[in-house]
Amino acid sequence: MSSPDEGQTYAEKALADYITAEASPNPAFLPITRDTKLIELGILDSLSILKLVGFLEEKFGTKVDPEDVVSENFETIAAITAYVSKKRGGS
Amino acid sequence: MNVAGAMERRTESQQVLHLLPHLSASAFPRRVAVRSEGRQISYQELDALSDAVAAALQSLGVAKGDRVGIYLPKSVASVVSIYSILKCGGVYVPFDPDAPAERLALIAKNCGIQAVMTNSSKLGGLEAVASKGAPIASAVLVDYDLEAAAEASHPGGRLKVLSWKEASGSGKPSVVPVSPDDTAYILYTSGSTGVPKGVTISHRNSMSFVVWAAECLGLKEDDVVVCHAPLHFDISVFSVFSTCRAGGTVLMLPDRASTFPAQLSSLIEREGVTVWYSVPSVLILLTLYGSLSKRELSKLRAVVFAGEVFPAKYLRQLIAMVPRPRYLNWYGPTETNVCTSYEVEKGSDILSAPPIGRACSYAETFAMTDDGRLVSGPGESGELYVGGPTVMQGYWADPEKTAKLLVDDPRAPGSGVRFYKTGDLVTLDGGGNYLYLGRRDGMVKTRGYRVELGEVEAAIYQHPAVREAVVVAVPDELVGNRLHAFVSPNVGADLTKEDVLAFCGGKLPKYMVPDSMSFMTSIPKTSNGKMDRVALAEGVLRGAGTS
Repeated sequence: MSSPDEGQTYAEKALADYITAEASPNPAFLPITRDTKLIELGILDSLSILKLVGFLEEKFGTKVDPEDVVSENFETIAAITAYVSKKRGGS
Repeated sequence: MNVAGAMERRTESQQVLHLLPHLSASAFPRRVAVRSEGRQISYQELDALSDAVAAALQSLGVAKGDRVGIYLPKSVASVVSIYSILKCGGVYVPFDPDAPAERLALIAKNCGIQAVMTNSSKLGGLEAVASKGAPIASAVLVDYDLEAAAEASHPGGRLKVLSWKEASGSGKPSVVPVSPDDTAYILYTSGSTGVPKGVTISHRNSMSFVVWAAECLGLKEDDVVVCHAPLHFDISVFSVFSTCRAGGTVLMLPDRASTFPAQLSSLIEREGVTVWYSVPSVLILLTLYGSLSKRELSKLRAVVFAGEVFPAKYLRQLIAMVPRPRYLNWYGPTETNVCTSYEVEKGSDILSAPPIGRACSYAETFAMTDDGRLVSGPGESGELYVGGPTVMQGYWADPEKTAKLLVDDPRAPGSGVRFYKTGDLVTLDGGGNYLYLGRRDGMVKTRGYRVELGEVEAAIYQHPAVREAVVVAVPDELVGNRLHAFVSPNVGADLTKEDVLAFCGGKLPKYMVPDSMSFMTSIPKTSNGKMDRVALAEGVLRGAGTS
């Protein structure tokens, strides 16, 4: 799978691995990094986002409100992890 | 002046699509014709700008009957492009802006596209298409929607490029006489042998539907109609042309609008959408994840869906949340445009998926059993045939396939009246409505798109390490069908799932890339040596074949 960036957190690596395996992105977009534009590049579409929401809920124990499934929270892995940590009351 | 009335007063020979913006510009010069992501254009501007760009196309040598590609995201620019091409008597061919270069090159080669409308940000992608053996020689940059791109120059590359500044300043085109039986556009759909096939539609084919649809929904100048489908999908024909005929506003949704259902529902509210038209899977996403009950949707007066079956339980939920609009199910292959319509009875319990309804006023339909009897009531099923003015001219450059599917009326051999054999199996309910039962062949619908399983298999077979491959459709409530590939690699080949799927991603549009796949040492066969698709699909449903 993708080689971990320097300073990549556990959550970022887990997400990058999940997206690489599940969304089978165009090889030109690999490796998926924390700043890869997931929506703009078409790596995630409406159905893969819904699967990803299920993954977030299971893996990180986060309850995702449908109103939170918006581009700001899902455009990059960095945005997703920021959203998850906010939901968990983290930093 | 009433546009519909003016249209009817014109002689029949003037019933061509590109007259629509001209008529609406006379009636409603300042009304917004197209809106997309904060950009908008009035009818007067649309008419003038498409004149200028048509003149630019003529300066590149585009003449009557020439095919011109549109390689743009859905935008104001894409609508300007459609009318510019039609105004020079050209034939527009919408490209899927996300499709791999290789597939677009096949399309450009098939119908001989030399000029393409694109924009500065897609130009690199177009160069890639051109480098794959497509005959594309020139590009017109329609940068209407782009910031500060109008001045950009594009040296190098193999294409002759006309900048937006040059294109938009080109004045009036020479008038080209176009008749209703001239071709207006070609829409490419999945082809079973691996090459997409070009459904060729005349102005009359399109206009017969466009006028009916506008009247069926009573479209008026204050309507805001969404265009959710991409331009290569015939659902867009209604949004672009019927809305223009009424002088209303077409709202071109960005290509990824349905990625975030809650944002999409906010947009419907904010834009005051009055008429919605899409495939059911988008409406299902909105129903489940769109927070619809929190939105103020009182302006929405009609919701139309087409392209796949709408499961009853989701339709019930949707109507419960958004009870006010009319709900209509339209049916029709690209080859015939919409040919049947059914209005959902909201008062009654919806216990099964809605029927596809009865023939539209312009269409003639019948269903015939395998032994040549007409289906006359419940309990009988047969293949649906469609005749009338909306039936396509044929498949581009494929007289053989055209002759196979556009046939003489089987009820009156020798009459010379052509009917399209849809390949769709239907029956009738007690009320005389057609009910859709399924397909006769390897074509399936996923996310409303037609996919020939053979085209997906043909792509996988091109991988040098693949020995055998079969793709099956696994029924899915959300998207109609999911695609699952079974692949048997060559002995000793080092092949991963990611390799195969990435390889497909380089050849097929995303909706045709299998959703999942598994390896097998050999593919199970039926007693007559054919791959056993039924057993394989059942295996996936039971969870046995997935990985």
